[in-house]
Amino acid sequence: MRNPSFTSNIRSILLVASWDLMKLKNQKVFLAMRVAWFTLQVLVFARAISFIVSQSILEYTGGVDYYYFYLLGIYTSLIYSTSISRGYVIADEFDDGIVEYHLSLPIKRGVFAVGRVLGSSLSTIIFTLPMMIVVYVILGVSNLFSIIVSLISALVFSIGVVSFVLLLVFSVKSTDLTDILVGAIDALLVRLSTVFYPLPVIEASGIAPYYVIALMNPISNLADFLRILVFPEYYMVFKYGVAPIVVYMVAFSMGLLVLAVEYYERKLEAGGWK
Amino acid sequence: MKSKAVEIENFTKKFGDFTAVDNLNLDIYENEVFGLLGPNGSGKTTTLLTIATVYKPTSGDIYVYGHSVTREDYVVRKLVGIAFQDPKAMWIDKPYELLTWHARIVGYSSSEAKKVVQDVMELLGLWEHRNKQFYQLSGGTRKKVELAKVLIQKPRVAILDEPTAQVDVLSKHALWDVIKKLRDEGTTVIIATNDMFEAEKVCERIAIIYKGKLRALGTISELKDSIPSGDLVEVQFEGGGIPEGLLRALRDIGRVEARSSVLKVYVEKGEEKVIDIIELFRRYNVKILRIMVKEPTLDDVFTYITGAKLREES
Repeated sequence: MRNPSFTSNIRSILLVASWDLMKLKNQKVFLAMRVAWFTLQVLVFARAISFIVSQSILEYTGGVDYYYFYLLGIYTSLIYSTSISRGYVIADEFDDGIVEYHLSLPIKRGVFAVGRVLGSSLSTIIFTLPMMIVVYVILGVSNLFSIIVSLISALVFSIGVVSFVLLLVFSVKSTDLTDILVGAIDALLVRLSTVFYPLPVIEASGIAPYYVIALMNPISNLADFLRILVFPEYYMVFKYGVAPIVVYMVAFSMGLLVLAVEYYERKLEAGGWK
Repeated sequence: MKSKAVEIENFTKKFGDFTAVDNLNLDIYENEVFGLLGPNGSGKTTTLLTIATVYKPTSGDIYVYGHSVTREDYVVRKLVGIAFQDPKAMWIDKPYELLTWHARIVGYSSSEAKKVVQDVMELLGLWEHRNKQFYQLSGGTRKKVELAKVLIQKPRVAILDEPTAQVDVLSKHALWDVIKKLRDEGTTVIIATNDMFEAEKVCERIAIIYKGKLRALGTISELKDSIPSGDLVEVQFEGGGIPEGLLRALRDIGRVEARSSVLKVYVEKGEEKVIDIIELFRRYNVKILRIMVKEPTLDDVFTYITGAKLREES
């Protein structure tokens, strides 16, 4: 027999998640602009850069063309930046005092936090879906399994990023400080990842900290996981196999989710925001 | 004996070094409209937000129907609904979407939510604004959207933080009727306001809070009666002078100010003393042309208790 409290919590999580999905409806123009810019990026500029590097890099990509390597990297960075921008939305809401409204609702705090993270992550996936279609059409991916696993892994990654940004927003309680911190983290994390540069290239560069950060970087892990999923030959690049990537991504996301929920449940209260 | 809806026990809330509320003790009874009166920054909103579990007490506790806001916050939130002082919405939000989501969150099914939202929006005159974005709404309309959340929720304890601020005079009267109806339907209503007229119009008991401390508590007439010689009996009489004996007798009743054919007597419980005053005038054969009793206003009460003017402080 189903536990009524569990059912009630699931219902609440889905209702809270619908808050973010409801807001997404009002961003149609913004989404259209992003899709247009992204399409231009991958059809024009990405081809130009790939032309420069495509021949010399094949030994580092397991034979995968740099253009294809780049496409999955740029899609990953898009999921990352969109997840981060959901955090900005939440920060803006808190700036306008909506945190007080949310804290007053008849929902368990932990359930609310999970709903918020899930809603933001689902919004991210829906928002980036047109861009994913552009990438997968260019790549010629039609395998349903790959597409579904790609979406699930993107969702898991987004849950981690949104949880992280929620923690940050709740802790600093300042939109300005959130802007500065997220900007700095964003600049470092995307650059110190395998979004644009294959891991063996980074290793060969001989800068050890760069390699370690890129290896541990969650953005690298998602980008490389998607590459392996679409181009199984890319698997050859990895010394330790695919299992550590999967375990790391799940641990990253669930760990941050637990921290965000814990903070929301035990420490968060209104006040001191402005 | 009246049962307690909210018990505030030794409640203190600090923000850093600043004490917003200092050792507040207060009981709010079931099914009354209770007013928290005080200027901006007096601690009213902090108290209300703590009842709604949005803030946590620094010390002390608050109980809603016996449930602690510190230990049973989720249970408390199921009993309490709040209309915030500043409407809680982003500029891009639409009232209908926002209220439908709120209705679903407080427990209505999808179809019930649509119906209750439409009913409440029509009641408050919001239906024509349902699909406008928040930035297109007037301040008063935004406040009504905030109040709509509480009316949709029908909580056991409704908290209304300055519910009619920015609302036009006609709508204010309509909203006061809505608030009284909410009470009649079994909800305990707590209103924070610095509008004395509003407090007199809708509240049954009032707490005056000033600089984080409770300064006075009682019904409106109890508070007014707490001012020594606060009532004024003003008598307009025939003729230019007043007999010395009448003047002496009146001075035994209260402080007297005489000016040509108008006499002012400051007394306690003016509605009782006016009979004695009429009797004295009759005994001294001085014909009364007009007599009236004026009670002190809540502003007078506030000034007497705190030494400050409520309007100036707000």
